[in-house]
Amino acid sequence: MAAKILPLVKFATKVTIAGGAIYVAYDSGLLGDGKEGSVTLGRAKAAIPPAVEEWVKYFGFELPATPKIEFSPLDAWNSGVQKSIHALSVAPSTVSDYTKQGLKYVKDLTK
Amino acid sequence: MSEKELGQKWDRCLADCAVKLGTGLGLGIVFSVVFFKRRTWPIVFGTGLGLGMAYSNCQNDLRSHYVLHSKVAKEE
Repeated sequence: MAAKILPLVKFATKVTIAGGAIYVAYDSGLLGDGKEGSVTLGRAKAAIPPAVEEWVKYFGFELPATPKIEFSPLDAWNSGVQKSIHALSVAPSTVSDYTKQGLKYVKDLTK
Repeated sequence: MSEKELGQKWDRCLADCAVKLGTGLGLGIVFSVVFFKRRTWPIVFGTGLGLGMAYSNCQNDLRSHYVLHSKVAKEE
């Protein structure tokens, strides 16, 4: 009797665990719209530092302080795009200037 | 659509992609461990599902500006 029920109980437990995981994901808005997703990400970002602090206190060791990086990828990318486009826009006049200078140099050499 | 609005939509898209990818990966791991004897394919499948959901949401969000919305007038 017990041998027959045990596989059923095991299967029911597995279904409960998997179903519970899906329900938690659905309930916290992880499977919803784009707006809900970005809101959830913001909440998770805000919740991480206090959670890390709690864990550190619980385990009783000091984490090394995270180094403050003064680099912003967004600013770097934007400035890169601006500089590239500016270089492209002045390229014809720059090339013509260099060509004139080069020709003048060659003329001076041949004098 | 203004540049600012487009930028905000792209930001939302990227955030949603990260969330859906993580969720898909997590659920894939759960299913892999619970039902499929720690095989790799449920994890890959879950990640793919998450990516697909994020792509679809992004597509709808970027198209929503151009889709006509209508309201049904109530009969009095």
